[in-house]
Amino acid sequence: MKESKRQQILRCYAWAAPSLLLILMIVIFPILYTGYISLTNMNVYHWTNYTFIGLKNYADALLVFDNGFLKALGMTVVWTIVSMVLQLVVAFVLASLLNIKGLKLKNLYKTLLIFPWAMPGYVSILLWKTGMFNSQFGLLNQWMAKIGHGPVRWLNGDMSAFWCCTLVNLWLALPFMITIIDGALQSIDRSFYESAVLDGANWLERTFYITVPMIKPIIGPSVVITVFTTFKQFDVVYLLTQQVGAKTGADIHTIMTYAYENAFITNNYGYSSAVSIIIFVMLILFSVVINMKPKEVRD
Amino acid sequence: MKKRVISLLMAVSVMTGLTLSGCGNTSSAASDPSTIVIWHDKEDAVAEVLQEQLNTLNPDVQVVLEKKSDLTESLKMVGNDPNSAPDMYIFAHDKIGVYAEMGILSPITDIIPQEELDVYMDETIDAATYKGEIYQLPIYYETLLFMYNRLYMKDDEVPTTTEELYQYMQENTAGGHYGFVEQHSTPYYAAGWINGFGGQILDSDGNANLDSTEVIDALNYHKKFVELMPGETEYATVNTLFSSGMAHATIAGPWMIPTVKENGMDVGVAAMPTIDETGTPIAPYMGVQGVQVLRNAAEKKHDSVEKVLRVLMDPEVEVKLAAASGCAPANESCYDLDEIKNDEVVMMMKQTADHAVPMSNRPEMDVMWTVLGNLLTDVNMSDKDVTESVKSAQAQAESLIESMR
Amino acid sequence: MQRKVKSIVGLTVVNVFFILLCFVTLVPILYALSVSLNANNSLLSVDFSFIPKAFTLANYKAVFVDEPIMLWLKNSFVLAVSTLLISLGTGIPAAYVFSRKTFPGRKPILRTLILLYAFPSLLSMTALYKLLSPMGLINTKLGLIIVYTGTEAVFALWNMKGYFDTIPYEIEEAAMIDGASPTQIVWRIVMPLAKPTIAVTAMMVLIYVWNEYIFAVNFMTGSDTYTLAAGLYSLQATEMSGNWPIFAAASIVVSIPILIVFFALQRNMTTGLTSGGVKG
Repeated sequence: MKESKRQQILRCYAWAAPSLLLILMIVIFPILYTGYISLTNMNVYHWTNYTFIGLKNYADALLVFDNGFLKALGMTVVWTIVSMVLQLVVAFVLASLLNIKGLKLKNLYKTLLIFPWAMPGYVSILLWKTGMFNSQFGLLNQWMAKIGHGPVRWLNGDMSAFWCCTLVNLWLALPFMITIIDGALQSIDRSFYESAVLDGANWLERTFYITVPMIKPIIGPSVVITVFTTFKQFDVVYLLTQQVGAKTGADIHTIMTYAYENAFITNNYGYSSAVSIIIFVMLILFSVVINMKPKEVRD
Repeated sequence: MKKRVISLLMAVSVMTGLTLSGCGNTSSAASDPSTIVIWHDKEDAVAEVLQEQLNTLNPDVQVVLEKKSDLTESLKMVGNDPNSAPDMYIFAHDKIGVYAEMGILSPITDIIPQEELDVYMDETIDAATYKGEIYQLPIYYETLLFMYNRLYMKDDEVPTTTEELYQYMQENTAGGHYGFVEQHSTPYYAAGWINGFGGQILDSDGNANLDSTEVIDALNYHKKFVELMPGETEYATVNTLFSSGMAHATIAGPWMIPTVKENGMDVGVAAMPTIDETGTPIAPYMGVQGVQVLRNAAEKKHDSVEKVLRVLMDPEVEVKLAAASGCAPANESCYDLDEIKNDEVVMMMKQTADHAVPMSNRPEMDVMWTVLGNLLTDVNMSDKDVTESVKSAQAQAESLIESMR
Repeated sequence: MQRKVKSIVGLTVVNVFFILLCFVTLVPILYALSVSLNANNSLLSVDFSFIPKAFTLANYKAVFVDEPIMLWLKNSFVLAVSTLLISLGTGIPAAYVFSRKTFPGRKPILRTLILLYAFPSLLSMTALYKLLSPMGLINTKLGLIIVYTGTEAVFALWNMKGYFDTIPYEIEEAAMIDGASPTQIVWRIVMPLAKPTIAVTAMMVLIYVWNEYIFAVNFMTGSDTYTLAAGLYSLQATEMSGNWPIFAAASIVVSIPILIVFFALQRNMTTGLTSGGVKG
């Protein structure tokens, strides 16, 4: 009997092995490699003949983490919270509306709403930057001119640039959120609502006492993944406001754009790797602090 | 059972794939000494001329010109890997220091004797020299040019000094029209003003030099011009303003000229205005475009590499490039030819080159672009105090350069 | 009667809302569409209108005639389909055991997997290059397929596991009593019930492969190996060269196959991405 138990475990691992092996190669290996490089002096001057230098890169990195870094960290936390709240609320409202009985064009609306997904991110960001926000030619300012308002430099001030970035990020992220929340809503048994209605519960009560608790475990993993990717967001902020040769004057940095300007551009791989690992550890701590872990449906 | 078989098959196929491709699949071009792969990032007109010239080596040597996106990043990754790296690449001279330090470049003089390089303009050879070795065979160079739209600015109205330019801007900037626009907060463009004041962004030993009085004066002086320009510094806005006739004059690269001519603009090029404060003209950066040889190729394909270089040394190539895309020849003797003498744009670049400053080719320059970009943005777009911004930029530059090592 | 009127009014309001919302969402894309159809060659213009004043298909013609877009399409297609098959072939059995079996290491592995998303992967490319290059997988489709499959594997595993969790275990127990082997159970019972989640996982993998350009540009050399996204990236105009309207046209062309798949999968996606109970 004991033997058979072991066999069972082995079989479980055998089934999972190909997938885990791929994850090991493509996701875990780079992390280990980055960890290893972070202990060396691999840089332009020691590209192939790098040597082990212990924790020096970490010491350097922590020394450089000054006010600018703290400011970027604060901004990243605010950015993550604002983005996540907006994404969840807007996606929830839209998904709920899409599920109203009798909405015949639902599939058409959904296909159109998730169109932003169908283009590489950098293309969309470019379209927003030059097509929408440009102060000379952008659509927004052409519309402003029509209502008799002068040109606005949308990406220049910190505040307005922050909201522009948030808007673009929302636009990019909604398709995924709408899809998963919409899917989760389908899974709720209609009978719950029927009995709640009989009990006289209004829409708000139904939402908070039935819908939200029911979909929470289902969308959990996707939300955790989205929190991580939002925290690490680079493209939106960098391409909209910080690209070299196209800076807009807004002084907004997420932790990643800050690390990029203060570490990655040095071509010092040891140092940049240490910075990456520090961010990795911080992000894991952050997720532990807010006790963010996907609920196990079947334990 | 079926499932287990399938997953097993998957695993096996992945594994065999791993091993199989390990043996056979690597690019055959890499090992064949008569095939030379050249990466580049140039416009089609330039690539066509080069390809046509290099085809004359057929069937002796086959040259494959490959346009590579993200060329500089790819090179860092593959530079040491003979299976994936190109044999040569064509790019501006400013990355030489990085790759030379990484040890992936071979000096040109290992293949072509130094005396034969005397035919090139001194500036271009200086630009190609890093720590005493010449790493680039120059082909052509480019500088920014002062351009104007003759519809608005008559030839005799072209400002010869910056104060005249400022006056022109004041008179002609209103209601969405601009007297003059440039990418005011983009380092490559703003450097012309800093150089014109005698400022040096990075000195020849690789030290940042942003807190000098020259840089501060330049930024202070430049600011009043920026106030009469649009709030955007990126090229799409600035170039569209000029090419759509909403800006009368600009400072831009020679690549602008074909585009605006296509739009039917009567475009003129003029010498850079002289800065009243210093008496020297705006001195833009000069970028030398040329071919670099990777170390692996220099060792294993010496003869083929030499043949390719010799084709590219033919002044005829440079003349053709000048005609095709307004490239200014690096070979001094080309300027005796009528075709070149009659080329207004090329001759204007040659004239500008007298004051132009070759971009630094040191590795430290990589971080200076970002630091200077931040500094310009702070001063020009966020209205921060010049002296303080300069100080903090200098501190950032020093710390970044420190952390490169 | 009154109730019916109320619901019709309500539906009309919702429909109007969605029509407006779809328009607002699509504004940047309509912008690209208009740029690509406009004969006056520019990304930026002073008086933009959604309906081009001088209509032309020249940019689309240029995309199909001057660029080897059919070859890119073929490359993207091969990569997408292979990645899809391997992702599902490895992901389904893994998701199944993580959902159905208890074994030591199960929970820590699941938790660790999701934490891996916390790694800032900006530097991963060099590491992957160092891994794949000695195996000779650089410049091969197989190399890219492995990278893509591995990148999507965590999502595939978690997403399908979540759905498998909602399928009542009793159905399988019944089959087990009838003497079905585990493989038969997955193949004959779980897979048909889980079609929606499989469709959606496939969708995610497809979108990723379709839009990915960084690895495609850096691990492959030569324009005959480009995928659509890499080809599109190479068409991106720079200050020195390139043509925005052609780029805009290419962006639209690249997104169309994905849109068709979106629409086709819509029915499955509604119950697919997460849970959804068993309605089969």
